[in-house]
Amino acid sequence: MREEHVKRLLVLAGSLLLLIFALGPFGWMLIVSFADRPDFLATREFSFSLQNYVDVLTSPSLHFTDYVWNSLSVSFGASFLVNLFALPAAYAISRLRFPGRILIPIVILAVSMFPQISIVGYLFDLFSRLNLVNSKIGLIFPYIAWTIPLALWINLSYMQQIPNDLDKAGLIDGASRWKILSKIIIPTALPGVFSAFLLTFIACFNEFLFALMLSIDYTAQTLPVGIALFEGLHGEIPWGNLMAASALASVPLIVLTLIFQKYIVGGLMGGAVKG
Amino acid sequence: MNPEGWREGYDEGEWKIALVFILPLALTVFVFICLPVMGTFWNSLFRDVSYLPKMWVGFQNYGKVFKDPNFFPALFFTLAFSIVAVTLETFFGLLFALLLNESFPGRTFLRAIILIPWAIPTIVSAKVWKLVYEYSYGVMNVLVRGLGLSGEKINWLGTSGGAFWALIFADVWKTTPFVVLLVLAGLQAIPEDLYKQAMIDGAGLWRRFYKITLPLVLPVLLVSMIFRTIDSLRMFDLVYVLTGGGPGGSTQTLSFLGYRYFVNDRFGLGSTVSVITFGISFAVTLLYLKFGKFRERLK
Repeated sequence: MREEHVKRLLVLAGSLLLLIFALGPFGWMLIVSFADRPDFLATREFSFSLQNYVDVLTSPSLHFTDYVWNSLSVSFGASFLVNLFALPAAYAISRLRFPGRILIPIVILAVSMFPQISIVGYLFDLFSRLNLVNSKIGLIFPYIAWTIPLALWINLSYMQQIPNDLDKAGLIDGASRWKILSKIIIPTALPGVFSAFLLTFIACFNEFLFALMLSIDYTAQTLPVGIALFEGLHGEIPWGNLMAASALASVPLIVLTLIFQKYIVGGLMGGAVKG
Repeated sequence: MNPEGWREGYDEGEWKIALVFILPLALTVFVFICLPVMGTFWNSLFRDVSYLPKMWVGFQNYGKVFKDPNFFPALFFTLAFSIVAVTLETFFGLLFALLLNESFPGRTFLRAIILIPWAIPTIVSAKVWKLVYEYSYGVMNVLVRGLGLSGEKINWLGTSGGAFWALIFADVWKTTPFVVLLVLAGLQAIPEDLYKQAMIDGAGLWRRFYKITLPLVLPVLLVSMIFRTIDSLRMFDLVYVLTGGGPGGSTQTLSFLGYRYFVNDRFGLGSTVSVITFGISFAVTLLYLKFGKFRERLK
């Protein structure tokens, strides 16, 4: 029975390590966000304060609510559209026989692993001429392209699990492929669609380089850009405010992830194409 | 040769519908990925700076980039960062996945908790790490001295060695959960009977791990490592926030170098670095396609 003891000890040590690993920096962010000053480790005086949250939410010069709104609308728009495009494509690839059925999704996967830097310079140039720099639309398009492999492969993996008989029954009843997709397959594959939507939304919400280069001010800058460029009036870093903004930006995502854990994990497994 | 042979054996109605269904997606990929990648290559053949007229220079920019004293350090840093980060992520990913594959009270809770670093936006985590590394009141130095690992405070972001590890820790923290999920799924696919048989044969914990678990989970580890490599080769956000490429340009990734050219209005050179970055990523992507068994998943 010695092995049982060893194992129990390992599990205990591993669990502790995992807890410290996963919660450490996150916990520190929360602690500093509730402190009246960020250097309390040096001064050895900690007092609880909500001032940082009040500052972030009410100070108009920080534009926090603008960033939130930009992030939400861009991420929502892009993840809605990318799934709108990915669903028929996934349907065709999983159901229809056509030349390129194997090749097209592979090529899409290959080209979509591009480093963002390899297209953002060109896009900046192009969008400057089209007056799309510093606009939400100008961010939505690259986000759609960037999340296509994720949306396509997640939807594909869920659709492949739906038996073809449903389609055949529909065809016999004289329904068109479009009708079968929208009336039968999408409702059946809804968990997959939801998971693809969640993951593309989170990916867009977290994206940084496109947003940094294709936006100029708070009218289009997203939350990550806002937080990255966050500075005090005199150039110093206002850590307390920054941690409060960070907490406000990430806690909803964490809650979303924990509530829909099943869909997130399922989608990541089905897609396995984006970290 | 039948010119229409490519569609032989396909139902005409069916492939036409397929075409319509795939077109929006394919068009988006073409317009917003293929075209810009080709455009970036095209731009890399021009001298394009704000203060001079645009001029065709052929491959001269590539020679210029190779001569830039920043390029090879950036290439070397990108590779070193990727190798060390992916190794550590794989190690911790496997470790935590093995743990979460055991059955013990609290497993469900820990499986949820491990997702937290994944869910936090990279930029947010970078800012948090920056505060953690703060020289005078950051918690990292308090911990390092409290645990007796170092008598002196460490200047994490002000020395090139400190900055390297600061970036590595932050990246490992953020991306290990993804590896955990992939590896955990791989572990769950190993039949329980194999372990039972091995236990009957008297194989101990360690022996069962390296005779059964490791070989069977190796393909998954490989795919996750390749995927993580692609991702870390294009790393940008952490460098931007944590070190700004410093100190002394010692932590610039290729993406960051390209970005710096772009914002300094040197579009030709920025495009050149971007093309090189794309080439490196694409080579690794081909490995990913080979080992990821994507073809099989389409059957």
